[in-house]
Amino acid sequence: MEIKKTAVAGTLESSDCMVTVEPAKKGIELELESAVIRQYGRQIRKVALATLKRLGVRNARVSIVDKGALDCTIKARVECAVMRAAEHEGRINWGGMIK
Amino acid sequence: MGISIYDTPLPERQLSEYLQLLETCGLRDEGDADIIALMTEDDRLVACGALAGHTVKQLAVAPDAEGQGAMAAVLSALISEAYARGVHRLFLCTKPENLRMFGSMGFHIVIETKDAVLLENRKGGLDSFLESIPKYDGVCGAVVCNCDPFTLGHRHLIEYAVSHCDDLYVFAVSEKGSMFSPQERLEMIRKGTEDIANCHVFESDLYLISRATFPAYFIRDESRADLVKSDLDIELFCRRIAPALNISRRFAGEEPFSPVTRAYNERMKELLPANGISFEEIPRLAEISAGRVRSLIESGNIEKIREMVPESTYEVIQRRS
Repeated sequence: MEIKKTAVAGTLESSDCMVTVEPAKKGIELELESAVIRQYGRQIRKVALATLKRLGVRNARVSIVDKGALDCTIKARVECAVMRAAEHEGRINWGGMIK
Repeated sequence: MGISIYDTPLPERQLSEYLQLLETCGLRDEGDADIIALMTEDDRLVACGALAGHTVKQLAVAPDAEGQGAMAAVLSALISEAYARGVHRLFLCTKPENLRMFGSMGFHIVIETKDAVLLENRKGGLDSFLESIPKYDGVCGAVVCNCDPFTLGHRHLIEYAVSHCDDLYVFAVSEKGSMFSPQERLEMIRKGTEDIANCHVFESDLYLISRATFPAYFIRDESRADLVKSDLDIELFCRRIAPALNISRRFAGEEPFSPVTRAYNERMKELLPANGISFEEIPRLAEISAGRVRSLIESGNIEKIREMVPESTYEVIQRRS
């Protein structure tokens, strides 16, 4: 999926995360901020990268400001930000790429 | 609890509650907000925030609603709305004691002074801006100008400055002007100085004289010019921009009309030399000011401005009308 514009999803509220997706030239650049980065940083990155891969995002600058989100939240916020950034809203393949 | 986003001006009832909340929190409305977010609980306003251009401001939480995440909710709503409107770069100015809170909300420090700190939502944003600008070895000078539009007065200032250093950086204010867009102004300055060797024109990328670094310049409440706060802007120039670009001189036009700009120049006279940068105020060319050119354009007197602006500016103005 091609990232066409900058988009954001999520909030900075407790147990959530805010995900920003921007166009980039080559590869995935992932920046993570979290109060629990030492405990869960690796897991958050893993979930975010797996989600991007499943969506077929090859080039993007992704920033996650985590406020203690669970894996399912991180996945949903990344999906939503990517769909907005790819201008893909309204034609989401539920049960396909998003499952 | 719910958050509503309003375009300014606010409806009357919301406005009075909003002003009341700001006052309770020791803030005041500066009248420059584009959108305002209000968070209510049981029909009572508990938190608010505003967006003016690229700057998040007026963030306040009622004292009895503190510690329940209201600030995070309001800030989130403003960020989402800003992105939806195509505003991706966001700045936020706050007191140093709030640094930790906003630091954990995706905001990164640009400059910190004794009583204020400027943050932006991009890590290393200022560093990448400074990296993108070429560096020169000799004595470097700087002019920061709005040029709305670029006149022979600006040209006069730049000619003077360039003859008093080896290389001159001209930074064009990148906020929306009162008449011309940032792109138009950048084009006017570039074309109007292209014959001057060693004059290098760049956008200031919101790091100099922007609504984030120097809000008073854009609010233009002339009656309160004594309260103009420009230290953040000047310190950002002195401590971050000038050292990175080896700038040791700054030049500005004398300001007989605007008390805000005059106060800014006065403050530069104090702060720049203290940071090892010389500051020179150049007398104006008689009868020429961007403000006069704007009023002549507004009254349709295009011919009259010919003697006040370079040919390249005249072309841009003609193209508009």
